[in-house]
This record gives sequence, C-alpha cells and structure tokens, in this order.
Amino acid sequence: MSNLQTAMTRRFRRQLPLALAKHGLLIAITLIVLVPLATLLFAAFKTTPEITSGKPLALPSSFYLDNLISSFHKANVLLAVKNTSIIGAVSVFANMIIGSMLAYIIARFEFRFKRIVLALFVFGIIVPFYTTEIARFGLIKDLGIYNSLLAPILIYTGADMVQIFIYKQFMDKIPVELDEAAMMEGASYFTIYWKIIFPLVLPASATLAIIKFVDIANDMYIPYLYIPSEQFRTLSTALMLFYGDRTLNWAGMSAGIIWIMLPTLVVYFILQRYIFAGLVAGAVKE
Amino acid sequence: MSYNMQRKLIIVSFLLIPIVLLLMLLVYPTLKLLQMSFTDWDGLTSGFQYIGFDNYKELLQSEEVWVSLKNNATYFIIHLAFIPLEIVVASVLVSKLRAAKFYKVIVFMPYIINGVAVAYMFAFFFSPDGSMNQVLHLFGLDRLSQSWLSDTHVVNFTLVFISLWKYSGLHIILFIAAMQSIPADYYEAATIDGASRFQQLRHITVPGIKTVIELILFLNVRGALQVFDIPFLVTNGGPGYDSSTFMVYTIKTAFQYNHFGLAAAMAVTLMILIGIVSFVQSKLITIKG
Repeated sequence: MSNLQTAMTRRFRRQLPLALAKHGLLIAITLIVLVPLATLLFAAFKTTPEITSGKPLALPSSFYLDNLISSFHKANVLLAVKNTSIIGAVSVFANMIIGSMLAYIIARFEFRFKRIVLALFVFGIIVPFYTTEIARFGLIKDLGIYNSLLAPILIYTGADMVQIFIYKQFMDKIPVELDEAAMMEGASYFTIYWKIIFPLVLPASATLAIIKFVDIANDMYIPYLYIPSEQFRTLSTALMLFYGDRTLNWAGMSAGIIWIMLPTLVVYFILQRYIFAGLVAGAVKE
Repeated sequence: MSYNMQRKLIIVSFLLIPIVLLLMLLVYPTLKLLQMSFTDWDGLTSGFQYIGFDNYKELLQSEEVWVSLKNNATYFIIHLAFIPLEIVVASVLVSKLRAAKFYKVIVFMPYIINGVAVAYMFAFFFSPDGSMNQVLHLFGLDRLSQSWLSDTHVVNFTLVFISLWKYSGLHIILFIAAMQSIPADYYEAATIDGASRFQQLRHITVPGIKTVIELILFLNVRGALQVFDIPFLVTNGGPGYDSSTFMVYTIKTAFQYNHFGLAAAMAVTLMILIGIVSFVQSKLITIKG
C-alpha cells in the first residue's frame, strides 16, 4: 500500500465516528419529523375498526379511499384553497407594492420627519400582533368589512411591514448612478421607481413573497376572528369547522388533515429552492 | 414638472397609504387598548366607566393568569435550551455532507405545514388511540406511557414538544443562512492553527452568526409569551387551566367572558412583559467573539 493510501485510510478512520454521529443526529431528527406524519397518512387509509385496534404504526391493511373522498367534500377543500389563494395573493401583491414604494422613499430621499416615519415602522414590528386584535376588532366592524375577505387582506397588507427593511437593503445595493442616468434622460421619480428600482428588487422580493404567502396560508387567528362565515373558510378555518363536527372519527379527521396539509406542502416542494435562496438573502441583510 | 416639485409629490404620495394603514391598524388599536385597560367595557354595549387600575389589580390576583404565565415560562425555557442544539444541527448541515439538501428540506418542512393541521395531527398522535405510546412500546419503554393530553402534570410539556416540532426547523434554517455568510478561509486558517471542531464552532461560528442568534432570542421571547394556536387548538387550555397560556386566557377573557377591559389590561401587560424579558435577556446573554 502506498503512503498516500495509508494516509487516506487513516484520515477516513479518524473521520468515520464523526460522520456517523452527524448522520445519526440527522436521521433521528428526520424520524421525529416523519413519524407523526406517517401515522397520520396511514390512519387516513384505515377503517375505523382498524384505527381503534391499537396498532397506529401498522400499515393500512388495504388501500381504503372512502375517508379521503368524503372528507375532501365535507371540508370543502376546493373552496378553502380558493379563499386562501385570493387572500394570500392579493395581500402579498399589495404588500409588495406599498412595501417597495415605502422602501424606495426611505432609501433614496432625505426629508423632514424621516426619523419619525422610521420610528413608526420599528414600533409596528415590536407590537405583538395577537394582542392588538382586541382593539382592532371594533375598528374592522366600524369599517364595515367584518365578515368579508377585505378584512384579512387589509390586515395582512398593512399591519406587517417587516420586509421594508429587507427591501431597503436590496435598494441600497442598487447604484444611485442608475437613477442619475435616468434623470439625465428626463425620467420622472415615478418612472425611476417603476422601471428601474422595482424590476431590480423583484427577484429578491419573490422569495419574501413566497414566505409571506405560506405564513398567511397557515394563519388561523385572523380568518377565525374576522371571517367566520362558512363561505369564507380558508385552509385553517375549514379544518377547524371540520374538527368541530363531533360526529367525526379519527379516520375521517386524518384524511381531512392530509387534505389541508397538501396545498402548502406541494407549493413547498415546487418552490423550496427559491425559499432557501430567499432566506440566505434575508440573512445577508443582518 | 421640476424635480423639486416631483420630489415632494412622490414622498407624500408613496408614504400616504402605508402610513395611514399603520396608524389605523397598529397605532390606533394600541392606544385604544391602553385606554380600554382602564375601563370596565364589556365589548358589547357602547357605555363604559373608567375604573382606574382595577383591571391591573384583578389580573395580578387572578390565579388563572399566574398558571398561564408559568406555562409560557415553560415554553420560553425549553425553546431557549434547544437553541445550542439547533446551532449544532445547523453547523452539521452547512458542512460538506451527503444528502444535506434532503435533510434541510425535512428539517424546514414542519414550519411550512398548516398550523391547524399540525395541532390536530398531534391531538391524534398523543390521543389514547394514537401512536406515541405505541412508539414507546416499540422501544420497550412502556413505563413512560402517559395520558399525554389529559394528565395535568404532563399536558403542557406535550404542547411544548409540538411547538418545538413546528418551530425548531425555522431556527435551524435561519442559522444555516447566517452561517453561509461566514467566509470559508476563517475555518481554513483555524484548521491550520490546529483548532478543534468545537473550538471553531465556539470561536468562529457562534460570533459569526451573532445577529441571527440575537434575533432568534428576541423572537423566542415574543413567541413564547404569545403562544396561542397550539394550546387553543389542541386542548383549549385544559384540563382546567393546566395548559392555558397568557394569550389563550386573554382571548377567552375578551371574546368568551366579554370582559374586554380586563383583556385589554392583559394585552398591555403582555407588551410590557415582552419588553422587559427581552431587555433582561439581552443583558444576561452576551455573545463574545
């Protein structure tokens, strides 16, 4: 055996325990994440007697689809997906527009009261969101938008401005010479924002948008409080209505849970590359 | 139009909508909350009386409030204790490792899944018919079997586990994102100088991700004091108040017992608590480079 080979074997032997420990840790975590999901999936394909037989970890004995089919209709999954998509898409889009407009002003202009404006938005980040609901509830009623999709859209759009600081970071990296060149050509400030700044921050904001969309799709509190009507059920509240039906057994319930998990999981698997890229971009701002 | 005119116009018009929304949706409710906390408003009728600090006195004397706060403290401490492990997992995932991408997708998955679905899934998992006791049986640990959601001494820890399951992945991913911005030559230089892996973690990685650690410490205070979804959905705070949290009790006080004045006082107290705990924490935990 040549010297190089011996050196490599020795190195391999030294690193083997560490590699085993690393994989051991990660496999344990993977099991903790997947076991509850797997038993849920098994239960969705089981009959009620099978579920109460005391072997939750056993595979279903047959490919029983009744739970999945009936719960799909009972939870009205399609309506929930529709409402969630509308609320999520409109809020994310509106939030992106006003967030980037605000960030453009803060990044590119000096003006009186700028410090006050900034302090206001820092305050907005510090206020805990659930608690304000007690006082906001009356306001939403007074505005006449209680029990309409506008209520969650307004709250998700206007009450969460964390991302303006990230937008500002992105804009700071865009050279001011670009703006100046456009001004030489006679472009207005609005044209500069709309034709230069916004398109340049768009790729970065796409990832922020995905994460915000997932947060909105997973929120239960705002829709539960402001749009209780069944026609406005979202993914979260559809499942809560479904759970409230006491005639339900765990077989049907498991199937309902699977249906509600599915849409965001599908989005996650399709877009995970962008989500991770966005988180990296978000961390660079630190 | 001159650039000076344009400048004024664009500043005013671009700031108008976000500032109006912020004043309306955040500043006004916060001030209103403060005002309501000194009244006996029931949330239904239009009339109310100012009663001074009575609501604050009542909440300090309420046993349910203290039980709930103790449960919040459990979330806070256990999540805090897991942060070092989360840093270790993140550092393993950024090192060159087979299947690292697969593990990253798995680790972050619980955060993506709908929170209501997660809560009910665990209500099933920890139910008497569920899998938890079966898992223990597989490992020959039958004596650890519990009534996970109905035993007064166990239930809150069960809920904290669900919270860890859902949120640890977010922490790990944020740590990974921060670690990726540490230049690789720091580690190369340290290796040449003979620094062990633990020393590298302690003296390069941890100081290198200082801001993200501070961010997560703050988010942990805010998150732990505001825990709502999981207890509300899984146990509704029960049995009794054994798994109630400050937020669950506040919302019940407002919307179930129609005692908006007291609930507002609780909300104001919560904001103050978040401020105090984050401040004390930032003084106690300092990360040295």
